[in-house]
Amino acid sequence: MLAKIRDLRNNPHLLFVRLPNLLSLTCIVVGVVWLLLLPLNEYSRQTYISENALLPGQVHAYFSGSEQNVFRGYKKELEGLLNEGRDQGVPPAEAGQTPAVSSKIQSILQAAGLKVATQKYEYTSAGITHEGENVYAIIHAPRGDATEAIVLVAAWKTANNELNLNGVTLALTLARYFKRWSLWSKDIIFVITPDSKSGTQAWIDAYHDMHPASVQPLPLKSGALQGALVIEYPFDHRFQSLHVVYDGVNGQLPNLDLFNTAVAIANNQMGIGSNLQEMWEHDDSYQARLQTILRGMAKQGLGYATGAHSSFMPYHIDAITLQPKGEGWEDEMALGRTIESICRSLNNLLEHLHQSFFFYLLMQSNRFVSIGTYLPSAMLLAGNFTIMAIALWMRTGYYTGTSSTAPAIAGDKKEKPSSKKVTSGKPVADVKLKESGVAERQLALPLTLVVGLHLLGLIPLWLFNTLPHQYLPTSAYAFVIVDIVLPLVLAALLSHGLGLSAPIIPQQYHLIKSFSLLLLGLSLSTLATLNFSLSFMVGLLCAPLSFIERLQSPSKPVRSTISGIGFLCLNLLSPPSALLGVCWYTGVSVETVLTQAAFGWDVWGVWTQVVVWCVWWPAWLIGCVLLGASMF
Amino acid sequence: MTFFSRFSLTLLALWSALAAASSDYHERLFLHPLPQSSLLASFNFRSNTSQQSFDNQHFRYFPRALGQILQHAHTKELHLRFTTGRWDAESWGPRPWNGSKEGGTGVELWAWIDASGDEEAFAKWITLTQSLSGLFCASLNFIDSTRTTRPVVSFEPAGDHPPTDGLHLLHGTLPGEVVCTENLTPFLKLLPCKGKAGVSTLFDGHKLFDAAWQSMSVDVRPLCPPEGECVVQIEQTVDMVLDIERSKRPRDNPIPRPVPNDQLVCDTSKPYNSDDTCYPLETTTEKGWSLSEVFGRKLNGVCPLTDSKDPNESTVCLRVPHDRGVFTSEGTLETKQADGFTRCFTLKASEPFDLVIPEQPVTSEVPLEEPILNAERTIVGHGAERGGMRIIFGNPSDTSDVDFIFFETLPWFLRPYIHTLRATITGRDGVRREIPVSEIVKETFYRPAIDRERGTQLELVMSVPAASIVTLTYDFEKAILRYTEYPPDANRGFNVAPAVIRILDSPHTRDTAQNAPVFIRSTSLLLPLPTPDFSMPYNVIILTSTVIALGFGTIFNILVRRVVSADEAAALGAQTLKARILGRLVAIRDKLGGKGTKVE
Repeated sequence: MLAKIRDLRNNPHLLFVRLPNLLSLTCIVVGVVWLLLLPLNEYSRQTYISENALLPGQVHAYFSGSEQNVFRGYKKELEGLLNEGRDQGVPPAEAGQTPAVSSKIQSILQAAGLKVATQKYEYTSAGITHEGENVYAIIHAPRGDATEAIVLVAAWKTANNELNLNGVTLALTLARYFKRWSLWSKDIIFVITPDSKSGTQAWIDAYHDMHPASVQPLPLKSGALQGALVIEYPFDHRFQSLHVVYDGVNGQLPNLDLFNTAVAIANNQMGIGSNLQEMWEHDDSYQARLQTILRGMAKQGLGYATGAHSSFMPYHIDAITLQPKGEGWEDEMALGRTIESICRSLNNLLEHLHQSFFFYLLMQSNRFVSIGTYLPSAMLLAGNFTIMAIALWMRTGYYTGTSSTAPAIAGDKKEKPSSKKVTSGKPVADVKLKESGVAERQLALPLTLVVGLHLLGLIPLWLFNTLPHQYLPTSAYAFVIVDIVLPLVLAALLSHGLGLSAPIIPQQYHLIKSFSLLLLGLSLSTLATLNFSLSFMVGLLCAPLSFIERLQSPSKPVRSTISGIGFLCLNLLSPPSALLGVCWYTGVSVETVLTQAAFGWDVWGVWTQVVVWCVWWPAWLIGCVLLGASMF
Repeated sequence: MTFFSRFSLTLLALWSALAAASSDYHERLFLHPLPQSSLLASFNFRSNTSQQSFDNQHFRYFPRALGQILQHAHTKELHLRFTTGRWDAESWGPRPWNGSKEGGTGVELWAWIDASGDEEAFAKWITLTQSLSGLFCASLNFIDSTRTTRPVVSFEPAGDHPPTDGLHLLHGTLPGEVVCTENLTPFLKLLPCKGKAGVSTLFDGHKLFDAAWQSMSVDVRPLCPPEGECVVQIEQTVDMVLDIERSKRPRDNPIPRPVPNDQLVCDTSKPYNSDDTCYPLETTTEKGWSLSEVFGRKLNGVCPLTDSKDPNESTVCLRVPHDRGVFTSEGTLETKQADGFTRCFTLKASEPFDLVIPEQPVTSEVPLEEPILNAERTIVGHGAERGGMRIIFGNPSDTSDVDFIFFETLPWFLRPYIHTLRATITGRDGVRREIPVSEIVKETFYRPAIDRERGTQLELVMSVPAASIVTLTYDFEKAILRYTEYPPDANRGFNVAPAVIRILDSPHTRDTAQNAPVFIRSTSLLLPLPTPDFSMPYNVIILTSTVIALGFGTIFNILVRRVVSADEAAALGAQTLKARILGRLVAIRDKLGGKGTKVE
């Protein structure tokens, strides 16, 4: 027994090749299984209100009665102006942006006794100009000192590009109603923006004086913003439940307390159901929970703004959107009372929301997992690359690899060295160790290549964020071709020597892979703490890269065939092909996605693209180069 | 020169004429309905006492409690302010008393202290704040060295001081202090009639602290008229802006429920107007109100201690157009003043007085003057490490420049980079230009902060050209505090005191000999600092304490414990000789006979 263990220890092939592969594979499998375990009751928790000051649903909401008459009056008034605009040929999408509508909103807010101001903005992204004018108004807290404020946002166009007439009207009615109350300890700011994508971004940027030159500064300000609520009500019938949208830009989330408050008030005080992540039929089964988590992760990973509330998150202002959904018997006044009650809760806050979680995955409106529970899964995925990288580094130092004895490690790691080979490998390895001992590493070429390819990622990053929108699909297709040609060219150049010095030796291939995986593991584990989902997704897509290396052993035709197939499979996982595949699967046009991504980069400050082009793509490219090198 | 300021100035002039008397007491209430159904009520109480009787502690009108504190702390001139809310200059026009009787949000105190050196002055200042803290039930004792400044140019003594005095000006603010009824009660006690008679009977804590904006002030200053003896004057002011509609709500039903459908005022000209659809209409009538509705009680006569050399001295003045109908209690003498907007009432002693203004369509309005300067100060930027301060000064006048002193005190944990001070100017054309700071700032008085010892003090003598908006910005760094230095509500942010702006040489101050300068105060700010997750260190502390208590406790216990039998323990534990001997005896007896019992 002891001898066996000693044999194992003395077997460098086991130590440097098999063990890391096994460990890496285990990490990946455990990482994925870990995520799949999260929806179980044992690993998730019931939500709770952590900040006691919030007291959700402890106050009676009075928004009812004659306020509904006022609501209808405002609505008719705005409807009239919208119809006038339509008659004058204003496209329905721009309906809320006519000067007549804007001045009517201003006059309504002014008549209600609020301080009103406007802000013009203009953004250009992918050759498209987005412009509009925000109208906003402030209720000064009686006895308040402009130190803190709550924001209520209503956009003329909802996140799904519907006309949000009821939402805007509700905001105006609430403004008039809130003004009468003397209990506000914080200012309340009503922001009416033309659309959900750029309007709030322009406003919140200017509020913090971080706006670009194309956006006007705000003439009127209040204090530190404590929370924001976005009101959407884009249809005329009554609704059944409230859909709470909470994802922010770059996967940032609002404090869980805010979400919990909204859900608690809707469910318990108002008796309105609540949904999340577009899960209309949530039966609390394992599948439904997992699906909710995965949908949340997809949104978080892509990092785009899911509504007008998303722009608030980078400034550490917790925000959610309330979307009425379904056909039921709840009317706009019920939504108004819900908002009133949430505002009362926020008004109670003595400190900025900080008690509850900022990192969580929700699987049901009342169940979540916190970062401590889910983080290991992404960390394990990221760790697998680091393990591999360290193993390769050691291998290049101590064990020169064996062209004759060690079996080739193929792309997907299906073929495993038989146990017979392990036992027979012992004397050979002993000989090898005696022969080589410590090998000198030739670092120059691998380092240059890895750093160079990572810098090369800046080119597609720049291209995809600056090209006009009509060229974006073409460039995506072109990049699929580039992704096929570029690795082959690089592989050919490497194998036949760059004409610089000695031809490349196997050790350098290992070093290239080692550095590439080291960077990947480093970036992904850092990213996991910031944006768990993105790190997990990229980690999963990059998982094969751990097991790819240059094939050496079989004869050239076999080698070429295997590597050719591997090369094709790997190309299906390249960033542009993954994008095209997802677009084809979901039925969204490539142009829309890429234009949106460019808009996100320019306006929202989304950095998903940086991860894709400067972390994922270079790592993938190096994997392809290694596989391609087997063909030459 | 506009009506409102002339109004304040005539009052100031009237006051100063009365100031010369050596020992007297006057009180007055000004009422001024403001737009948006607000009502400015300005109470003023003033008494003089001769310097000689003050020094001999012969107090008649002057409150003894305050007088003794001032004498003890060698304070020659004192200004104390309690303020909540913000003055809405856009709707309400210029501030009452030109801002000279209000403070920044919270508590503000400044005083001229007679001392031979800075250290002695500071020691007396601490004595003063500690004593006032007790007197006014406010946290004034928290004005320590980090919150104390010595402004160089921003404040000038309002009284007449003999030139020999070694006077030291010290200034402190508590922006986070919440002013409430516990500060009103001691304030009322300083008055000769103590809220039992006269205009001070209108003070009701519920109404006063329900005001949209409210300021209480105490000013003590020595006055030496050219002829006659020096007097010490104390002036107490309460200014408040009440929301008439809110104040009129009955006490037992204060909730602003939606009005019944039939009481909703709708625009019937709208085509869609119907029983269930209503576009609310602006009321064109001015709200009616009365003293008893707004303050919850009637004014109880005149304070009998009022010195009236003039029997017709009016104590209540109202500023509405002369054609406005006003009804008063019987026996009240009404005098209308020539400006067309002011009327004053002479009350009958010991008769309740009420003033009723019925609802009436608006015919003429009291014109509101534009403020001389608009100022706004905000914190910009985000993140836990750095930030920026942005101060916007708007000069609405088309013709004249505004010269003023901008004074701000910053806490030490906000570290400004003065070299990043930048100025931009925006004219009426809306074009923003960057200009050198020296074009705007004439003089700078800057005293940098010392960590945990004193805050930054910055005074800028500035001038804003006519019809332009000047924006000053500078960057700052946020210091990281020690974890014991955080207050319990660390995540709320830290209060930064409001900036004080004193307008120099304005047309208002130029016209009067009175040195009542124009002051503007910005709102206070909330500075978010990098805050640790406090639950974590506490969790760690709790966890380690538990581990130590369990682990160390048990091991220590085992190590030092001597295992002895029960009877030996009694012997060991006994202190007296007798007990020891007894213990021994017991031990011996047990040794002899103990076995037997055990076998049993």
